[in-house]
Amino acid sequence: MYRYDAFDQGFVAERASQFRDQVSRRLAGDLTEEQFKPLRLQNGLYLQLHAYMLRVAVPYGVLSGGQLRRLAVIARRWDRGLGHFTTRQNIQFNWIKLEDTPDIIDALAEVGMHAIQTSGNCIRNVTADPDAGVAVDEIEDPRVWAEAMRQWSTIHPEFTFMPRKFKIAISGALEDRAAVLFHDVGLRIVKGKGGATGFRVYVGGGQGRTPYVAQEIAAFVPRDEILSYLEAIMRVYNMHGRRDNIYKARIKILVNALGIDEFRRQVEAEWATLDKAAINLPAAELARIAEHFAAKPLVKHPAKAPKVEARRKSDAAFARWMRLNVLPHRVPGYAIVNISLKEPGMIPGDISADQMETVAELAERFGGDELRVTYQQNLVLPTVAVGDLDTVYDALIEAALATANTELITDIIACPGLDYCNLANARSIGIAQDIAKRFADPEKAEAIGPLRLNISGCINACGHHHAGNIGILGVDKKGTEHYQITLGGSPKDDAEVGDIVGPSFTAEALPGAVETVVATYLERRLTQSETFLTAYRRLGKLPFREALYGPEKPRRAAASELEIANV
Amino acid sequence: MPSIVTANDLRSGAVVYLTGAGGWVCDLPHATVVDGADALKGLEALALASVERNEVTAVYAFDVRLVEGLPEPVSVRERIRAAHAPTV
Repeated sequence: MYRYDAFDQGFVAERASQFRDQVSRRLAGDLTEEQFKPLRLQNGLYLQLHAYMLRVAVPYGVLSGGQLRRLAVIARRWDRGLGHFTTRQNIQFNWIKLEDTPDIIDALAEVGMHAIQTSGNCIRNVTADPDAGVAVDEIEDPRVWAEAMRQWSTIHPEFTFMPRKFKIAISGALEDRAAVLFHDVGLRIVKGKGGATGFRVYVGGGQGRTPYVAQEIAAFVPRDEILSYLEAIMRVYNMHGRRDNIYKARIKILVNALGIDEFRRQVEAEWATLDKAAINLPAAELARIAEHFAAKPLVKHPAKAPKVEARRKSDAAFARWMRLNVLPHRVPGYAIVNISLKEPGMIPGDISADQMETVAELAERFGGDELRVTYQQNLVLPTVAVGDLDTVYDALIEAALATANTELITDIIACPGLDYCNLANARSIGIAQDIAKRFADPEKAEAIGPLRLNISGCINACGHHHAGNIGILGVDKKGTEHYQITLGGSPKDDAEVGDIVGPSFTAEALPGAVETVVATYLERRLTQSETFLTAYRRLGKLPFREALYGPEKPRRAAASELEIANV
Repeated sequence: MPSIVTANDLRSGAVVYLTGAGGWVCDLPHATVVDGADALKGLEALALASVERNEVTAVYAFDVRLVEGLPEPVSVRERIRAAHAPTV
């Protein structure tokens, strides 16, 4: 993974010292809240319901064991012993005191971490495939480019005060595991003519109150030119993105107002004017960054370990964990291990300081001292020798981290909701817990098969409800929390925004409604391998709607149309 | 409807409620409940003075109803804040 050089370290230390000064001036009364707020937000510090919340950047979701240990120290010393992983592969601490933040930022800087650009109208943490560098279907490692973009975008003077925040995701594999099509800019590494790699570029995707799937703006941008191409996109957005209305300020609104063809024309015209050589990543710099991500030589192992195979036969829970949470690695004899932070009944994405230390130790002992955060709020040990899988599993059981539910209905994405968030209209965590408990039987959840269930506590959609196969949106209905169900969303290559199925439910009624949706799918699926999403696309909304609300009544409008026809 | 003025403590971020003496308390039942625009204005003036002394931030008033003489927030949001803890 990338290790800070003297420049990076100096920059982060300088920012930490600036922030210490800003906090002390605020506490002394030399800065008003109005003056201080943009400064604290540029350092990831929000004011939430109960306390300040610090959002720490985890660039493209990559952490070392030592960094996770430091996060555990922060959780224990300055929070209530917990951290919460987010859908931008970052981590949040929910119980922070303003007067402690300079010390926390220093503690982060010591291990090459910070909270810069985790808020504000800038380029946010670039996210990437959590299986980068180890996936069997990878074309090229996206971390190299995510790191280049981190460096390019960090306090970039032109992109610090944009119309609104800006999110980029990169996938370097055949399968999209980074929800690329729901980003302001989504990048897919592809092979061009002659085998050279480049980027297929998508623009204008996003969730929130106006959800859009991104559209292709360029089929192939040579990789050496991607930074100047991105800069052209940013410039067109910065110039023409709306600043008069926060709800219409994201690039998706501009792209859809202009149309993708006109937006592309403007980007290409802008690109033609740029001094590309001054912006693009020099080959030597690319090589320097790439070296940090070069695959470590791995000791060869047989593809299967006899003791692990024996355990698989004798221990059904271990076999399930192997089936659901362990993925093939590009090197035979190794595996990718998904660590679920979704034990039914627990808070999705939450991790205790003790659990962080267990995972850090596993990464150090068995995982090449590296781990990943996924946007589904789980962790990944990217490189574990197959012969160590049973030992890792036992350690995870001890830490209550061995839930086998990757991509199942209990692997719920949920935002913090009204339990913590200042923007929320309704609670999400309790709803996630109630639903997960209904499907807590692992056999039942596995029999249902892959099913993404995502919950947001408000229309800002931090819980990705639009992209859930089943999406749940919390709304405030005359002072009472209600929940709207959407069906058929997908964050993957077949990305789609879910359809609202009908009127909302109370918190008490919602878990039962989700059970009805799932039962309708199970009754109607053609085979066990027809997933929820495939079945929904075949069946449409109607059978689910009828199961939830009763048979459709003839619409009055239809009757009046009939009368007109008779006339 | 009766109301209470709330804020977050500047240093800690903790939820606090205003008293008629101009101080801040953590427990909702110890807050001063006012009814009517003029009484609320008086309370808000005390709160703004406190903001200027850099004691609190994010000041606003919210509605409560009195249950057996004790204030109970009308909104779920304020009930969660008053508990100083998530509901999960």
